[in-house]
Amino acid sequence: MRRTHLASFVVTVLCLASIGTLPAQAPTTTLTLLSREGRRSLPTTAIGNQDYVSVDDLNAAFGTTAREDRLAGGLTITLRNRSALLTADQTVVQANGRLVSLLAPVLRRDGRWLVPVDFIPRALSLLLETRLDLRRSSRLLVMGDMRVPRVVVSIDAGVTNLSVIFEVTPSGDAKVSAPPGRLQVQFEADALELTLPPIPAQTFLLGLAQSETPGAVAIVTGPRYAQYRTSSSQTDAGSTRFVVDLLPATTTTTAPATATPAPDMRPSLNATPSTGLRTLVIDPGHGGDELGAQGPRGTLEKNVTLAVARRLRTLVETRLGLKVFLTREDDRTVPLDDRSAFANAHRADVFLSIHANAAVRPSLKGAEVYYLTVERADAEARKRADDTATAVPELGGGTRMIDLILWETAQARYLEQSSTLAGMIEQSLGTRLEMSPRAVRQAPFRVLVGANMPAALVEMGYLTNADQERQLTSAGYQDYVVQAILEALIKFRDLLDTTAQ
Amino acid sequence: VNPQHHKYALIAGVAVAVIVLSWAMFAALSWLLRRPVPGSEATTVPSVTAPAGAKPAAPRINATLYFASEDGQRLVSVQQEVPLAGSVVEQARAILEAQFSAKPPESLTPTIPEGAAVRGLYVSSQNDVFVDLEPTVRSKHPGGSMQELLTVYTIVNALLTNLPTLQQVQILIDGREADTLAGHVDLRRPLKKNDNLLATPP
Repeated sequence: MRRTHLASFVVTVLCLASIGTLPAQAPTTTLTLLSREGRRSLPTTAIGNQDYVSVDDLNAAFGTTAREDRLAGGLTITLRNRSALLTADQTVVQANGRLVSLLAPVLRRDGRWLVPVDFIPRALSLLLETRLDLRRSSRLLVMGDMRVPRVVVSIDAGVTNLSVIFEVTPSGDAKVSAPPGRLQVQFEADALELTLPPIPAQTFLLGLAQSETPGAVAIVTGPRYAQYRTSSSQTDAGSTRFVVDLLPATTTTTAPATATPAPDMRPSLNATPSTGLRTLVIDPGHGGDELGAQGPRGTLEKNVTLAVARRLRTLVETRLGLKVFLTREDDRTVPLDDRSAFANAHRADVFLSIHANAAVRPSLKGAEVYYLTVERADAEARKRADDTATAVPELGGGTRMIDLILWETAQARYLEQSSTLAGMIEQSLGTRLEMSPRAVRQAPFRVLVGANMPAALVEMGYLTNADQERQLTSAGYQDYVVQAILEALIKFRDLLDTTAQ
Repeated sequence: VNPQHHKYALIAGVAVAVIVLSWAMFAALSWLLRRPVPGSEATTVPSVTAPAGAKPAAPRINATLYFASEDGQRLVSVQQEVPLAGSVVEQARAILEAQFSAKPPESLTPTIPEGAAVRGLYVSSQNDVFVDLEPTVRSKHPGGSMQELLTVYTIVNALLTNLPTLQQVQILIDGREADTLAGHVDLRRPLKKNDNLLATPP
């Protein structure tokens, strides 16, 4: 019963708060109205934390008329035989016979009537009998059946190419044409709700802009650009990921890198993440209190991962001559962030986390390789982080530059390399071991988040499967795993060496 | 005492008052749901205007719940009735509680460890959901990254699929931020819906 009291109290308070006093007016901005007739701007005024639009401006834009009833303190907005009734200081209006609640009250100020902007999609659309889609973040108001997809552009600058990535929501196709000096990406759209990224320093791409043709984006190409390649894929929840790769004149591996006409102008601090493979950090998953998965015969994941990590260290040290460090040498609890911090502190060129899996179904078996999922917000933060070089005092006087990277976005800048690395390990494991049906996956694994280098997580098999439990504890199977990882590391080293030239 | 029965008795009692308070409710709800999906009316929960005329005969809605597929590598969605609640927060909790106690159809398995329970659920003004779980979700979890992914995204997907005004889900354990649930999946930041784990992507 206490909850009822609380609820009615909250309702009353909120009610009073919403009708209560409002702070002073702030400067004016605009909404852009997109319709078949073209674009038109609609001035808005910020009052409190809401944007308001004046009824006079609405009348001018939509052809409605308004009549004030001074006695009742109300306003009627009419279009043909449909009308909306507004009352000053009320958040509820009646539109075309329906009650509609708004985010903020209707206001009457100095003889002018003001309505919060959500009046337009919620109430005015009922009068106009057409859809009015308010996109707050881009300050767009889309009228009727206009196709205005949201297009978020990002740039992935590699050493030998640059990818311009368009995330189109809702899904839709795009076509590329190549007028001189630029590429034109035409979407199936009447207009775009476009978000453009900052352009990193390089010589493939000089700029990105909304094209004069409706629904198109212009890519202004730079001196190093010679050809393009496109690909598209469906991502989660109805988006299309459309990628335009800008490539140099020669793309075959036989062509020496010196053939490229313009020098790579990327600043050295945030240039190629790695110039080779010299140091490897191996992370034996779990340990100490964190047992990890358990097999039916009682095998603990933390013991298997440590055994394999040690085996891998021996093999990589002797065969590749790399410096190899383990995040734990024995059975102890190590927090996840400390593991990637360890790899950062040792300036590892590759970070590998070793695990064994578990499932409720005992039949499930096979190995898997993961790299990190990064959400768009992180990818954007990564662009900002790329430019943060800071001078710090050095022991014995003077300063040196370090580049500061947000922990949460450290791995985001190595995703492409991590994906390649994961693919190589998966392929190599696949020639020796049974893989699970979809073997390379992306997942938001904490241990990979802060790793400032290419990183992957290897699930060697399912401990919950009786056969695999036996395998995972056997020297033979463990050798297969480390051999496969070694092979993948050799391939990855070769790739790093060729791209670093 | 069954909390659901309690809730319906509550709805019935409030029904008369709702007529009087409906305008106040509009104001309160629009204030609470500061950022609804553009174009949608105030809320996705259809109960706001209904109780005035509705009988208190335990209204239910269809919700999408998730279970592990036969091969244990995917989430399979299953429609199940859950009690209709009076607010987004209560509806979210009702859905989650249904998910936690749901018996899967044959061939599917639950992804939520037995003994796991919801401690609390909050919705921020940004429409982010904070789900606070009892520590049993960790102690009873069988471990393994695959199983952990299924558990975490069952919770995330069940909330975000059924209540589209909600944006993302952050899982807390025992009232605190947690690194992970079983050593892999990052819980330090809010998570978005994951359709890649679904057996049949939409």
